[in-house]
Amino acid sequence: MSALTDIIFLLLIFFMLTSSMVTPNALNLQLPGRRSTMPRSNTPPVRVAISADNGFSYNGEALSLDGLEKRLVSLKKAKGKDATLNISPSGQASNESVVAVMDIAYRYEIRAVLNDPQ
Amino acid sequence: MLSKSRSKVTAEFNLSSLTDIIFLLLIFFMLTSKMVQINMPLPESDSKTVAPTDIAVMIKLDDSVSFNGKASSWETIEKDVATYVRYSKNKENATISIIAETGVTYEKMHIIMKIASGLKLRAILATQPHS
Repeated sequence: MSALTDIIFLLLIFFMLTSSMVTPNALNLQLPGRRSTMPRSNTPPVRVAISADNGFSYNGEALSLDGLEKRLVSLKKAKGKDATLNISPSGQASNESVVAVMDIAYRYEIRAVLNDPQ
Repeated sequence: MLSKSRSKVTAEFNLSSLTDIIFLLLIFFMLTSKMVQINMPLPESDSKTVAPTDIAVMIKLDDSVSFNGKASSWETIEKDVATYVRYSKNKENATISIIAETGVTYEKMHIIMKIASGLKLRAILATQPHS
């Protein structure tokens, strides 16, 4: 009996640990209409557009995702806390590319605002 | 013989009740760890959020939408979410998890985001770590 208890205890601890480790990977969206909405910054935001064929552009200039990331790193360096990004994806853009841009903004702690589909 | 065994104090305690409790906990944690799995490709991000995931809206590539595992439609999804929130105990912190398969258009995601905003809910966007 005690051997059985040992095994079950072991399994219990295993599942307890794995269930606590599974924090959902997710991006937190702060939607308008809630108190937690972030204040606007004074500097004009940088506009990142995503076209229907998932091409990125930075203030109108077409770029690859890597190129965009480099631009955003320098933006963060230049503006610091005030760095603000305006993401305007086309309605037909894939969620993958929208999340890719949001992920860059999240990693470099740039404030990102997601616009309505264009 | 009988009286002798009755007067003897047993040195070992009964493990079976302990086993029962542990078994129950084991089954509970097994089930909860199973429930959080999603079997489809999601957009990749490093972000992690600890938010209550009480409302799960899943959008698949074939344009089907489901609410907490039940199939729904684009016409009824808003009503489904609103009804759920109305009877929910935790209205202040009700959170919609938008689980959109890779390749779903932004337009579709935006519809759910608008519903969440209209109902003053929180929203999180489910992703998976970079592979």
